Amino acid sequence: MLDKDVIEDVLYAALSRGGDFAEIFLEDKYNANMKIVGGILENNISGRDYGVGIRILDKYNSIYAYTNDSSRENLIKVAKEAAQALSQGQVDVRLNLMKEQPSNYNPISLLPSRVLKSEKVDLIRMGYEEAKNYDESISQVTVTYMEEEQNVLIANTEGTLVNDSRVRTRYSVQSVATKGNEMQVGSYSPGASMGFEFYDTIDVKEVAREASRIAKVAINADYCPSGNMPVIIDNEFGGVLFHEACGHALEAEFVSKGTSAFANKEDQLVASPMVTAIDDGTIPNGWGTTNVDDEGTPTQRNVLIENGILKSYLIDKLNGRRMNKPSTGSGRRQSYKFAPTSRMNNTFIDAGDSSLDDMIRATDYGLYAKKLGGGSVNPATGDFNFAVMEGYIVKGGKILKPVRGATLIGNGVKVLELIDMVGDNLELGQGMCGAGSGLIPANVGQPSIRVKSLTVGGRKGDE
Amino acid sequence: MDYKDLLNKLIEKGQEKMDEVEAFLVKNKQLDIEIYKGEIDKYSLAESGGLSFRGSSQGKMGYSYTERLEESALDSLVYEALENSKYIEGSDDEIIFSGSESYEEINHYDDSLNQVPTQDKLNFLINLEKEAYSLDERVFAVNACAYQEFEGERYLVNSKGLDLHDKSNGGAAYIFVVVKDDEDTKTGISYRIFYDFSSLDFKEIAKEAVDRAISMLGASNIKSGNYPIIIENTTFANLLSAFTPIFSSDNVQKGLSLLKGKLGEEIASPLLTIVDDPFLKGGFASRNFDDEGTASTFKTIVDNGKLVSFAYNWKTANREGVASTGHASRSYKGPISIAPTNLYVVNGDLDLDEMMALADKGLLINNLEGLHSGLNPVSGDFSLSASGYEIKDGKKARPVNQITIAGNLYEVFKNIVAVGNDLKFGLPSNGYIGSPSILVKSLAVSGE
Repeated sequence: MLDKDVIEDVLYAALSRGGDFAEIFLEDKYNANMKIVGGILENNISGRDYGVGIRILDKYNSIYAYTNDSSRENLIKVAKEAAQALSQGQVDVRLNLMKEQPSNYNPISLLPSRVLKSEKVDLIRMGYEEAKNYDESISQVTVTYMEEEQNVLIANTEGTLVNDSRVRTRYSVQSVATKGNEMQVGSYSPGASMGFEFYDTIDVKEVAREASRIAKVAINADYCPSGNMPVIIDNEFGGVLFHEACGHALEAEFVSKGTSAFANKEDQLVASPMVTAIDDGTIPNGWGTTNVDDEGTPTQRNVLIENGILKSYLIDKLNGRRMNKPSTGSGRRQSYKFAPTSRMNNTFIDAGDSSLDDMIRATDYGLYAKKLGGGSVNPATGDFNFAVMEGYIVKGGKILKPVRGATLIGNGVKVLELIDMVGDNLELGQGMCGAGSGLIPANVGQPSIRVKSLTVGGRKGDE
Repeated sequence: MDYKDLLNKLIEKGQEKMDEVEAFLVKNKQLDIEIYKGEIDKYSLAESGGLSFRGSSQGKMGYSYTERLEESALDSLVYEALENSKYIEGSDDEIIFSGSESYEEINHYDDSLNQVPTQDKLNFLINLEKEAYSLDERVFAVNACAYQEFEGERYLVNSKGLDLHDKSNGGAAYIFVVVKDDEDTKTGISYRIFYDFSSLDFKEIAKEAVDRAISMLGASNIKSGNYPIIIENTTFANLLSAFTPIFSSDNVQKGLSLLKGKLGEEIASPLLTIVDDPFLKGGFASRNFDDEGTASTFKTIVDNGKLVSFAYNWKTANREGVASTGHASRSYKGPISIAPTNLYVVNGDLDLDEMMALADKGLLINNLEGLHSGLNPVSGDFSLSASGYEIKDGKKARPVNQITIAGNLYEVFKNIVAVGNDLKFGLPSNGYIGSPSILVKSLAVSGE
């Protein structure tokens, strides 16, 4: 993608006025998207993202520049311009770039770009028909097909020179159910770091039915009551609870400056002893899996919390300097337009030994959140919120009725202590995580869990 | 670099293979500086852009794009767009536009920003951070102290003879502070968006963020129930921003907006007027042509409670046999869509104190979280994590957090009791959205 001597010249230019580390991140990414709305194939776009990011570190300071023009001349110019932010002299570095061959956690058997577009059109049409015909209440369906092939080259003055190829595939169905003057939405969007063979592992008709099922449940549901109550959060995408409530606060970006609620808590009990939480960037073909992170460090399996005790943070190179700790392979970025920072890959609460039935039976009055939507957190305070896409009221140990429009709020530090049951049915769900270094694919996950008490926000008031 | 040549070549190549074609090129420059403990923490310089191509063949519009802005990329742009067009269905409505009769003269590029020495920007940030720490000993950290400048250029050239170009710039500065009182941690943010560097007052910005954070110390929730609620200006603007898709004719036509069939009807309290003003002075979405080349015009969307217009591009306008309202929007990576420009709720006549007196009791909400997940733009339902203050005896009282407020946008519109006179805009995202503070009769609050 770039000649070794060009890389060397650019790295030397980057350190021409000081700094102790320089890095090149070249990205060449092919994207294709198709969207069918109301039975009509409306969007069909493909294109190429291409650019180079150059980073210089000087102790704790970070200088970043990017450009679309990867000619030797321009890259050296950009590197020198970036170096203007420093005022020391040329640093004496001798580069010894060693090409690395990382483990391949994402074997691909069929590149999506090799598949005829007509096959993809058939695939989204199939999902559309299935979702639309699921129930007469389904008034509108949108199906989106996404593929991307991101090829990156990462080189730095520590001698790293590595290429990685990230092929990702995602299929998304959004169904709208209408009743009178009301509308409710259900969606389901599985994805993986796989090629077109992904469609041998999922049934798009099942995905479509699931989106319509959620919309149908919601349109026939009553508004959710509000108040504090036990909440059972189901597996798979329910893991967004841990992702928002705790995962972000374990990122070195906040920990290194002491502003995270989990700063300086290593080896301390921060959660119920039932909780073991892991971030694993190496899960084969996982949505958030990469062979190396966006700083060229091999990804790894990081145990964040073990039996309630905080074991590790998620660390990138720059924030690792402040913490005096090595990278955990967690430096990620959306594209060459972002300097990397500490982020999650595939983050989940590990399986326990209760069953979902046990949890419902053990709950006198509470909420069963079967599907969660997205959420967000303030990492400094740990206050989080997220939306319940499909929920039910549990009464007397039984599921009573569906409710809609619920939001869960709470505090990350406190909620971890309040988990009192952990299920045996661990599953992962796919999300797009937005933070300092952009929007990145990340798996969330958990078995079903029960939280002793959470604030449930709904429109109905007390019940 | 002269892009005119590149664009003309693309149009030429496109016309060999397709019927009508168009090139849309975006160039961006950005500067980001962040300070941490008096030193440069992050410094980023960026120059980038993208080239979007669309073309019609047998009445179907295909799209492609690239970030490789060079001649060698042109052939594959045309090839991809032609391939993509083959699968498009029912898109006869999408056209390549030949241009409006005239365009308003506006200038939204201020060269003075380029004349400010970098050292002045650094000093501003250093002073801002220092000021925040000095204001209160409970200021525990400044999590972000940042300065940003951006510059954008658009080129729009097509086979129907359209050839438009514009350039805009601006800046933003913000500070995010963390305060601590024993185990109680709270945060406060304040920001400015500006054209004129000399308008930045670091003391005022620091004070706003610190005051916000300190005033939240000791916050607790409130008993669940229904309360009268004032949603503060930028907070209401952010809420409205998340719901602007309801005014898009595309969503209306697809049955994804409950405003379908409501044109000319009362959809809100007579106190509510919403306009879209592409010529607003200092508006960060100001422009004189939209992303299809249509001349921008001032539009009233909601007039004293009555819905008077939706936002159209040519594709949605042609479906109904009307004219585009100049709301075509696109990123070079996507198809033509619809977005507001400077859209805002027109000021009423009460100030915030008068509104609190009018409410007598209830809540003043100045922060809503979860706007990308806790609301449903299709149904209008929302349930959002909120914080702010209790209103007691008509005055601002203790801080409140860890609550949610829930309701439905259409009901909120109808239940507006008062509109403030403190119009303020949120951060620009998909459009630049503003609002004064709004008093709503009642919303469901979940807390204790």
